[in-house]
Amino acid sequence: MFGFLKKVGDYTRDAVGAANYLTQGLSVTFDHLRRRPITVQYPYEKLIPSERYRGRIHYEFDKCIACEVCVRVCPINLPVVDWVMNKATKKKELRNYSIDFGVCIFCGNCVEYCPTNCLSMTEEYELAAFDRHSLNYDNIALGRLPTSVSSDPAVTPLRELAYLPKGEMDPHGVDPTRPRAGQLPAQVLETLPKAAAAAATTAPAAEETNG
Amino acid sequence: MVIAPAVVSPGLDLESSFTQLLQGFGLSPGAAHLLWLPLPMLLVLVAAVVGVLVNVWLERKISAAVQQRIGPEYAGALGILQPMADGLKLLFKEDIIPARADGLLFTLGPVLVLVPVILSWLVVPFGQHLLISNVGVGIFLWISLSSIQPIGLLMAGYASNNKYSLLGGLRAAAQSISYEIPLALAVLAIVMMSNSLSTVDIVNQQTGAGILSWNIWRQPVGFLIFWICALAECERLPFDLPEAEEELVAGYQTEYSGMKFALFYLGSYINLVLSALLVAVLYLGGWGFPLPVEWIVGLTGQSVDAPLVQVITATTGIVMTVLKAYLLVFFAILLRWTVPRVRIDQLLDLGWKFLLPIALVNLLVTAGLKLAFPAFFGG
Repeated sequence: MFGFLKKVGDYTRDAVGAANYLTQGLSVTFDHLRRRPITVQYPYEKLIPSERYRGRIHYEFDKCIACEVCVRVCPINLPVVDWVMNKATKKKELRNYSIDFGVCIFCGNCVEYCPTNCLSMTEEYELAAFDRHSLNYDNIALGRLPTSVSSDPAVTPLRELAYLPKGEMDPHGVDPTRPRAGQLPAQVLETLPKAAAAAATTAPAAEETNG
Repeated sequence: MVIAPAVVSPGLDLESSFTQLLQGFGLSPGAAHLLWLPLPMLLVLVAAVVGVLVNVWLERKISAAVQQRIGPEYAGALGILQPMADGLKLLFKEDIIPARADGLLFTLGPVLVLVPVILSWLVVPFGQHLLISNVGVGIFLWISLSSIQPIGLLMAGYASNNKYSLLGGLRAAAQSISYEIPLALAVLAIVMMSNSLSTVDIVNQQTGAGILSWNIWRQPVGFLIFWICALAECERLPFDLPEAEEELVAGYQTEYSGMKFALFYLGSYINLVLSALLVAVLYLGGWGFPLPVEWIVGLTGQSVDAPLVQVITATTGIVMTVLKAYLLVFFAILLRWTVPRVRIDQLLDLGWKFLLPIALVNLLVTAGLKLAFPAFFGG
């Protein structure tokens, strides 16, 4: 008899517990109803890529000395440097340069090691193509600058969360002139006392000369 | 508390007004009746389809809001035409019958799923006379019609000649059968209280004191059982095992496309609206306003039988019924994004080991209370 009653009691407790969890869950979903959508309506709105964003690689033909360092540091030796030795001037003569972005992993090693800084990262990420061979960019295509999100009149640029002012969660309707949360290195330097600031600026330079 | 039909004013009786109007033009009563007949049919179809369109739009918008998305936006203002666009797309799609499928059963399946659901709209009252037919066995008719549905689902699953479809169909049948019993028992408790199977009588029994006389206060357990079972019958999310996309692709709908798929889609949404309407009718006072309309009319010093008052009460009745139903639909959608899907064994456990005993106890307690307090639990 008591065993049965205990069973009924346990059963009821389980049911009440389940109902409790259910209401907790429902209150969570209900609370989300009043929050603003975080949607970025892509072709019309775009997020501004973060600084140091590793997008499509830009290349300046005239700066290149055809040293092939980019090929050596590339994990798969991707850049194709087409040069010939000019016997008369005893110099390398660059004819073509290409990177296949269908294969590139955007690790940025080539940009890092290029001795003449002729390679750089852009903010371009829209590389979808109907044919993967059309992603094999030659030096002309590599030399084009992408349209930046913030200068494109057809696009509303939106800031990412880390670039929003303090307390803002939603990039829509935030005044573009308002600075982001936190301080930039230059602003931190201004707050430091003069001597410390001088030390802070000279220290990295000294390090560089030593190294 | 029960108002005898004779006491109720003839009020808004559209059928008799319509036939009298036509007879006034010199038509015979038979011809007038014949002209009247297609109107309720058309009305049911239009109401059901509009209900589904609103439901689909709500589902998409509320789902989006819960997930902090925007949802459909470009088809009409706030994406209000999106369900139309969805429907039109399905209408124009190719109607494929798989080569090894059983053509006849494959076509019959969705029809058998849809027709009983639409037929059940016959008994949904929006006012004293605002229903298609006040059958004496109203709510029983709905229960019996809803048990035709699993046959259609099983048919569709079997005829598709696809393992996922078959499993989905079997699950749908098992689910419908096991949840029909607690559903019927919950309804039985209500029927016992109102001494009638007719939906109109059930609502009339709840109109005495506005919101206080609604059945939800007298049958809270029955309300929960009915709602859970209705969700299971509609294959809504905690119980959408028959079409669990992670395991069964789309269940019995897997091989369907075009209009036949649209019939399933329509059927499931009409069923949801219908279930919500019936919950409103059975437990939330149907067309009743939270305050009794008679009191408000009495306060303004009008007669209940005045034509304008009748039009206004009929309108509030329709609005209240629809409002209650869509409140429940909203709740179902919210529930969809709150609870995870149950396993098949959990589903059957819940149906047979939990809801069935509780429903039986509820019925027993209701019977006891009816004997003890006939004034409050229907004499």
